[in-house]
Amino acid sequence: MDADTTDQSSGTSAGQSLWSKSARKFRRDRFGLASLAIVGLYAVVALGVWLGLWGQGWSTLGEESFAGVSGEHWFGTNLNGQDIFQRAIAGTKTAFEVGLLVAVVSTLIGGFLGAIAGFYSGTWIDEVIMWLYGCIDAIPFYLFVAAIAFALEGFPYAMHVAMITTFWSSTCRIVRGEVIKIRSLEYIQAAHAIGVKPMTIILRHVSPNTFHILLVQGTIAFVGAIKSEVILTFLGLGVKEGVSWGRMLTESTQDVLRGHFGNFLAASIFLFILVIAFNMFADALQDATDPKKISS
Amino acid sequence: METLQYTIRKLIYSIPLLFGVTLIAFTLMVYFGPDLTDSILGKNPTAEQIADVRSELGYDAPFFVRYFMFLKEVVTFDFGSSMSSGEDVRSILARTVPVSFAVALPAFILSNLLGVGLALLAAYHRGGFWDKFVMVFAVVGMSVSYLMIVIAFQIIFSTSYGLNWFPVQGWIDPPPDYPDATFFEIAYYYWYNYWLYVTVPTLASIFVALGYNTRFFRAVIVEELNRDYVRTARAYGIGNGTIMLKHVLKNALIPIATRIIISLPFVIIAGNLLLEKFFGIPGVGLVTYDAITNGDLPVVKAVVTSTAILYVFALILTDIAYKVIDPRITYSK
Repeated sequence: MDADTTDQSSGTSAGQSLWSKSARKFRRDRFGLASLAIVGLYAVVALGVWLGLWGQGWSTLGEESFAGVSGEHWFGTNLNGQDIFQRAIAGTKTAFEVGLLVAVVSTLIGGFLGAIAGFYSGTWIDEVIMWLYGCIDAIPFYLFVAAIAFALEGFPYAMHVAMITTFWSSTCRIVRGEVIKIRSLEYIQAAHAIGVKPMTIILRHVSPNTFHILLVQGTIAFVGAIKSEVILTFLGLGVKEGVSWGRMLTESTQDVLRGHFGNFLAASIFLFILVIAFNMFADALQDATDPKKISS
Repeated sequence: METLQYTIRKLIYSIPLLFGVTLIAFTLMVYFGPDLTDSILGKNPTAEQIADVRSELGYDAPFFVRYFMFLKEVVTFDFGSSMSSGEDVRSILARTVPVSFAVALPAFILSNLLGVGLALLAAYHRGGFWDKFVMVFAVVGMSVSYLMIVIAFQIIFSTSYGLNWFPVQGWIDPPPDYPDATFFEIAYYYWYNYWLYVTVPTLASIFVALGYNTRFFRAVIVEELNRDYVRTARAYGIGNGTIMLKHVLKNALIPIATRIIISLPFVIIAGNLLLEKFFGIPGVGLVTYDAITNGDLPVVKAVVTSTAILYVFALILTDIAYKVIDPRITYSK
């Protein structure tokens, strides 16, 4: 994708693509770098759980329920005597599973449909895609998830499907607007003139110029997905097997009334730090990749 | 006359949207939804009974026939009775919508007012200390999970580990039967109990909504501040505060009002599943939550469809309101 964008950023000195300029701008953003480091750390933790390096003891039943904080149990144990810290670590993997899957798939769908709608704006194709996201946006998110859960009764990925079918619409809207602008640029007219097929123009020449939008929208979708997981799990529509921060917070609603704060604190801290790092990363990314701000 | 034409056009163009929304609701919840035959008939039905119920529910009919049966339910607003309690869905909604409205209203008003206020403060001091302070606060607000805030506020305000000022959960009981209670005593009873149960949920939802609102409103106001008329006004020597309140805010009101009006149906009808479930408030949210967990299709169907339709009408209403406010807006496609 570097090659493509380099071609189009004419006017900049040779060898300097928009991406390398963005990267340089991002490197100067201290908050952006710090938040990226935190996100990276979480990613390593999640990868380690996935590879079986740590956090494997989350389901081991212990002797003592609601044990206090100790060297062995950093956040104490829960009702079943399971180590809360291990569960929070293992929950990181679940969060990344949900976040990555939803962010990647919904952003790709939104980016693709947005590019098509923008490219064909004014035709029935655009109308149909706009109609589709108009309908999706009209149904409240949690109720939409409930409706999907009804349709896919017992399907463990109902939550993921629901998030993907709702999250693509915002990406689609933004990409569509951008593509309408790109469409009228000279190099696209030139491509038309030499007879490049419309689909090739969309995929090879238009889409690469929306990658910065997709990147930012992807991080926003990631945050949305892990935050929604918590609420949906509490409502009984989310993660049903394994461990997640949503399940820990749901357990903690009973615990805190009896004065046990381990579950609540562990899940809250893990979730809050990841989400705030991701939000700051998304902001920094948006600043760094906005072409209007770079080329000036 | 022109406004009327505009209104009719808007209404006609909303038909595909209404059609799509009902089609989605129907496909997900009715067509691919649960088979209700068993739960209606109970144990050991005869084959004949099964066939009767199935044809009555339309399970043997083709897709579009069933869709039209569903549309008829929507148009007459007759979604049948709840599977678990047998109560008519209409009377369930009539009972619960006011409760949800009462719970959501204070937070809805305050989080929007505070959001506009903080956004004005941040935009006025753009790049300065107050801007950064407000925006950091907004990012923190956006990053906390709703569930986490609700639990934290419950610990702080409603348990003996914190201030213990409010009940843990619940809703207003009917007043005790004093033989000679005056109107004011009863009114005071309701007023007092209302705030007793509504304060903590309100604080929690303001906390969660404020970050998003402030950020959105600030972006709108800052964009407005960059326009030429602001520069002109400055050149005329009009004070910054006056420009902000009299000109910028006035022009920024359209996107702000859109956001507020569009969120209304979600706030009122959909209720707030999380808040009402957590605090045991008997509004639409709690009823919907119970219906989702019990697979009570008529209730979920009614709530989803009516919220979506109200949303479409809210969209049309905002468009028409702008047309009335600002006659320059014309129908352009």
